[in-house]
Amino acid sequence: MAQGTAEPAIELAGVQHSYGTAPVLRGLDLSVQRGEIYALLGGNGAGKSTTLSALLGFIAPSSGSVRVCGIDPVSDPRGARAQMAYVPENVSLYDHLTARENIAYFLALAGHDTGASVIEPALGAVGLDSQAWDRRMSGFSKGMRQKVAIALALARDVPVLLLDEPTSGLDPRAVLEFNGLLDTARERQVAVLMVTHDLVSAVDIADRIGFLTAGRIEEEQQAGEGARFDLNALHDRYAGTGQAI
Amino acid sequence: MSPLRAEARLLLRSGRNLFAVILLLMLTSAAVWSGLVQMDAQRATIERVEREQTRDLAAVEAAQAGPKGEAGYNAYYAFMLTQDPPPALAFAAIGQRDLQPFVLRIRALGLEAQRYDSENYNAELALPGVFDWAFVLIYLAPLVIIALTHDMVTAEREAGRLRLLLSLPGSGLWRRRTGLRYALVLAALALPLITGAIIAGAPVAGTFGIMLAAALYCAFWFGLALLIGAALRASATAAAAMIGCWIVPTLVIPTLGNAAIAGAIPAGKGIDLTLAQREVVHKGWDIPKEETFEPFFVNHPEWRGKEEFEGRFHWKWYYAMHQVGDETVAQDVADYRGALTARDKWTSRLGLILPGVGTMNVMHRLADTDSTAGFAYQDSIAAYHERLRKFYYPYMFNDKAFTRADFAQIPRYTSRVPGGSLPAGSLVALLLAAALFLWLGARKVTRVSSARDSRPKDD
Repeated sequence: MAQGTAEPAIELAGVQHSYGTAPVLRGLDLSVQRGEIYALLGGNGAGKSTTLSALLGFIAPSSGSVRVCGIDPVSDPRGARAQMAYVPENVSLYDHLTARENIAYFLALAGHDTGASVIEPALGAVGLDSQAWDRRMSGFSKGMRQKVAIALALARDVPVLLLDEPTSGLDPRAVLEFNGLLDTARERQVAVLMVTHDLVSAVDIADRIGFLTAGRIEEEQQAGEGARFDLNALHDRYAGTGQAI
Repeated sequence: MSPLRAEARLLLRSGRNLFAVILLLMLTSAAVWSGLVQMDAQRATIERVEREQTRDLAAVEAAQAGPKGEAGYNAYYAFMLTQDPPPALAFAAIGQRDLQPFVLRIRALGLEAQRYDSENYNAELALPGVFDWAFVLIYLAPLVIIALTHDMVTAEREAGRLRLLLSLPGSGLWRRRTGLRYALVLAALALPLITGAIIAGAPVAGTFGIMLAAALYCAFWFGLALLIGAALRASATAAAAMIGCWIVPTLVIPTLGNAAIAGAIPAGKGIDLTLAQREVVHKGWDIPKEETFEPFFVNHPEWRGKEEFEGRFHWKWYYAMHQVGDETVAQDVADYRGALTARDKWTSRLGLILPGVGTMNVMHRLADTDSTAGFAYQDSIAAYHERLRKFYYPYMFNDKAFTRADFAQIPRYTSRVPGGSLPAGSLVALLLAAALFLWLGARKVTRVSSARDSRPKDD
């Protein structure tokens, strides 16, 4: 872990938000430093995806503050979004475009350079077979699609990475490859916030794990220097959020 | 690569979208070609009739005109050509030109017995309708727009891409997507139209006016599609709703509206006027001649005192009989015209609230192929017929011989000057409809990124 003492890349303080009369976030406090991988675990309805929505500027919290690299996503959504890349849970890019064209398309929308010097290293970094780069994505497996989405995030070269259930549906080998990618992101001093149900995956890669229960972080655990989390203890804690592994 | 170029590649690499645009281009091209062919056929018909006319008149002149020639015989046998050549833009919006006569040979006999001759077979032509550029624009282009836009937003949501797209820092996604589709649809409509306009030698202003109306009409449909596509969450539902919106204001309401107008403003048939006029003429054979001359002198007092003749038949009595026939049904003719004009006005009013009808009205007025154009041709025929009567009557009432020199003086019909114009009211209504729905659609799609639309299904 390369957690620093500087201003957090991601910071939510006392965030509250409701959908109609149903409160979802109830005073959420969360921060992620650059070079840190934070796994946010929680059961259905705990507020995980709403947390991502708040960071992306899709919702305006009723109270509290949200900052991405010091930028408020509500008042300056474009500025905040320029600092982060988001990888949704079910990555379904455009089937009638190739992997390379898909990345070029989304990069163009984001106002980034779309040259081969940007796209090819990113595709190479995620380990996608180079023969697949120029194939239409209609024949891609879920794991391959996930790699393309991660490549898009890497190509954007932003300081914050938001991942929504990144290992959902991936086979064990793909999960290991994915964890390797996150290691690379950590080395690049990227702040990673991954929202997941998958405790094992979180334990394998995260520097910190936060348990989100009923819209607030009930407990955080941090991996010791060179040590791993105690999976048994974590399991007991996680089961309390409403979703067992 | 710019966002616009990226969007264009995304759009054109989609087989369905590409097919829709190419299909529209092919339909538009076919419609323009069909319109040009139909108008060429009308011109060819006019030229053929002109050649026949020349031969016929030469034969009548040889047989009837001379030192002992009688004006009545000449007027009886000399069918005079009137024609309404297709205006240059008629190929794009044929309008009433396939229903109303564009060439009519008339004699100095009763006018009302001649000018509705073609009405009985025109009804058959009305059944299949006309396939022209305006038809493709009004009825088919909206379907292509629906195909291109119905899932522009919903497909992104269904595929799970919406949050990813909205998470990007760029702006103007929906504006670019809509704008590109709009540009492609307009290009598919404009390229064949402009080609046809060049071939037909159409005026630039008129062509521009038609494209302006088309641009506004398409903008209305894009606004509506954007509104529905952003408001509904499933592509299939959005497509069904848009098809419903196409059927109701494009097919159902105009049909019901026309039926209501026809029911509220009854108008007889032209052929009834023909029969009524002929009945008066036929009755004239059985009544004392002064009963024909007296009503004739009401409008033509200059010939009073010259009605006497020897024998039982004279051309002046015969033509007076026809003229009285026309004058007897004059009120019926005025009522018939009034009813048709009133129907036309109500159709124009319908166009103020129905963009399809309004666009059609603009097209046909600009191309000078609407009922107004048909009325103008009818009026020019009536004026010409009046000139013919005034030319022949002095020969008949003065018992003057009709020589070859006189034959050469028979008035010839001069085609009316095409009077296409821009109906400002309909165009403004179209502009307002387009602006309103584009605004509503843009407002709705902007809210796609709101909490409701971006709310995760499973938190």
